[in-house]
Amino acid sequence: MKTEAVRGHLDGLLLAVLEPGPLHGYAIITAVQERSGGALELRTGTVYPALNRLERLGLLESDWQSVGERRRRCYTLTDAGRRTLADERTAWQEFTAVIGAVLDAPSRTGTRTSAGSAPVRTRPAT
Amino acid sequence: MSGMSDRAPLDVGDARGQGRQQSDPVVAYTAELRAALVGPARVKSRMVAEIHDGLLDATDAYVGEGVPRAEAARRAVRDFGTVAELVPECQRELTVAQTRHTARAAARCVPFLLVCWALTRTAVGPAAAPLALLAAVSTVLAAVTLAATGGALARRFPSPRALPRVVAWTGTGASLGMAVATLALACTAFLTAQWPLLVLAGALSAASHAVLSTSVRVCRRCPAPAADPLDGTLPG
Repeated sequence: MKTEAVRGHLDGLLLAVLEPGPLHGYAIITAVQERSGGALELRTGTVYPALNRLERLGLLESDWQSVGERRRRCYTLTDAGRRTLADERTAWQEFTAVIGAVLDAPSRTGTRTSAGSAPVRTRPAT
Repeated sequence: MSGMSDRAPLDVGDARGQGRQQSDPVVAYTAELRAALVGPARVKSRMVAEIHDGLLDATDAYVGEGVPRAEAARRAVRDFGTVAELVPECQRELTVAQTRHTARAAARCVPFLLVCWALTRTAVGPAAAPLALLAAVSTVLAAVTLAATGGALARRFPSPRALPRVVAWTGTGASLGMAVATLALACTAFLTAQWPLLVLAGALSAASHAVLSTSVRVCRRCPAPAADPLDGTLPG
């Protein structure tokens, strides 16, 4: 999957891999790539400013921790981050349901009424 | 940064360091990135250090797969994207960080200006009103900027792209106002019997100017954030 396609969803991906627990920058990158089975093309450097932005927005917290032989900045989801992740998942499911319905439409055309019947108009319930 | 100096020092001021910078792609990448970015020193240093550490982690991962270290470092740098690709993303965040820094500097000026206004009003009466105006401008600048760039409000509404420019020039105006006030208070002090009050007020006004002018200078140097249609994609 191309970098530009991933960019619009980067925030959600970062929040999702942090859901199980705190991770440092490179572990976050690795987690995203592992979860995607290596299918996502990600300019890994762009993850770091994105993490800074999510922290500024109050979706993540961070502090320096010793990991192995180095000190690394580890990120944790905040309560606001968990709520945003839930909203992101809901929005994604609704989006894929709608797009899926449109993309799948040709396979359903056979079940439609015969040609020449009156067009179906949908109106909001009153 | 403990642990990084054994392999890749970031300060490469001497000839030996420059030679190493050219030979080590991680150091060269980090140095180029550092030179290209403008923003608050602490935030910039943390961002560059994190990227440097990430490059070392990526290098180690390749080395763990059996790739020679020099080639591993080149692959790590390739995966990160070019400096030209990374700078707009990093600078956008640093510009916002500098904007917030200037807003906090303006907030720190407010108590000084209020005391300054109270002292001056005691000495010269209603003529002290411009100092109250400066305090009000600083308060509004700080409150609006901090609310628009962090926390719940910023999650719901993307920050206006023009905000850093507006803050830089409003802060510059306020800072100049403080300098003019300092000069006016110093001159007036010679003409009134209550000169000690005005001298103290002048000192407070000068302190406010010193606090704000340093931050707005950097804020004016920060490039305006590039347009990014993907900003604010998170639901509120």
